[in-house]
Amino acid sequence: MSTTDFDAVDYFRAAFLYPNPYPYYEYLRKHGPVWREPHRGVVMVTGYPEAVSVYRDTERFSNCNAVAGPFAAWPVPLEGDDVSDVIERHRDGLAFSDQLPTFDPPKHTAHRGLLARLITPKRLKENEEFMWRLADRQIDEILDRGECDFVAEFANPFTSLVVADLLGVPEGDREEFRQEFRSRKRRDHHPAGGTEEGMVAHKPLEFLYERFTRYVEERRRDPREDVMTGLATATFPDGSLPAVHEVALIAANLFTAGQETTVRLLGAMFQRIGERPDLQEVLRRERERIPSFVEETLRLETPLQSTFRLSRVPVTIGDLPFPAGTTVMLLPAAANRDPREFPHPDEFRLDRPNGRQHLAFGHAVHSCAGAPLARAEARVATERLLDRMRDIRISEKAHGPAGARRYEYLRTYMIRGLEYLQLDFTPA
Amino acid sequence: MRVVVDLDRCGGHGVCQAEAPAVFRVVDDPGGYAHVEVLLERPPEELREQAKTAERCCPNRVIAIVED
Repeated sequence: MSTTDFDAVDYFRAAFLYPNPYPYYEYLRKHGPVWREPHRGVVMVTGYPEAVSVYRDTERFSNCNAVAGPFAAWPVPLEGDDVSDVIERHRDGLAFSDQLPTFDPPKHTAHRGLLARLITPKRLKENEEFMWRLADRQIDEILDRGECDFVAEFANPFTSLVVADLLGVPEGDREEFRQEFRSRKRRDHHPAGGTEEGMVAHKPLEFLYERFTRYVEERRRDPREDVMTGLATATFPDGSLPAVHEVALIAANLFTAGQETTVRLLGAMFQRIGERPDLQEVLRRERERIPSFVEETLRLETPLQSTFRLSRVPVTIGDLPFPAGTTVMLLPAAANRDPREFPHPDEFRLDRPNGRQHLAFGHAVHSCAGAPLARAEARVATERLLDRMRDIRISEKAHGPAGARRYEYLRTYMIRGLEYLQLDFTPA
Repeated sequence: MRVVVDLDRCGGHGVCQAEAPAVFRVVDDPGGYAHVEVLLERPPEELREQAKTAERCCPNRVIAIVED
């Protein structure tokens, strides 16, 4: 597609671009690291330092529209030199307004502090022991067949059960969680920004919310010596006890935010392992390079492609001034290919000295709380899959021959990743 | 000015290293979990602004710049 053709494209309705949005990002970059696209007046930030400066500035930029973006339905116009009052009065009406990523300080600080108490380094290490066992159990289910849909049969149940363990979902209930996540068919996915038209759904996953409400009520009434009791009785940093629904929301948020994105990361990793036998060989031989493989995949195949901010007051991004009430789209997926930060940005390299400095998890106070979890999941899954499967290949039957592959991606601009990944392999 | 970090709550996000690379470094545990290492416990005055930005931007809020 030529540059002129992109001029006519409203990105937020251009589902045909979402499988490979990178040429469009380069079109944006040609206009500069910060550019107001003409269709909706959204300021697109593709530059790395420019994105970091916005991530950092929670005073002048609000996260109220982090998910809703250009579809945020404000009942009144955003006018004047400070729209903070309008934001406070109407933010509850925006999509995902009850979820942590859309909060601003000081509310965000309190809720994020609560979340940090749930996923401490100590808890993560206990959780990792579970990951090794779980990876083997999921592999047991598919190993003899010599083929699988890696997304539905490994990545989905693996990531959801890891979070279930982290949050202390009782053993007896886990099968039900497994079924709940497994039964979601390929086409049923409606993650953020996720319908055909790029619109966003409101308040997903009632199942989780209902479950965690019950768990928290039970444990507060009848505390036990378990992880769920820790979740139910965890306090805000100021020592106050959150309302039941606040805890349930944070737990549900950890599932929705952590599951969907990590599934796409795993899919991208094993797509590359299947496409690149040479890389697969390197990783088998030099296991210590797996963390770099995870980071480079996060950089090049960033699952969460974008997020939004709203300027509260007049701001400058890069060198450009914008008024209060401007919708800003941060594109970590594009910033991760900023040649000023990552030389030869489109090349997959395991030895980048700054390979961990990508923005796939965001930056500053809103950066992904589940990042250490996702990194561990990706590492453990790769270790066990390489141990137990030889010669992992892309299924030609499902995806076509090398050089003419067909891959289906989620039809959303915010989350990019494979709908399914059919792999062939030889049991080790 | 003195830099204090709470390693029990550090998630190894690496925000501090990006903001103040002379003061903080993120290192990997043998098990694979990353955590912060303080390179300069008493950074010079010219690094104050960077160190304060790292404190403010830390997602787990484990950094404190103490004046003593």
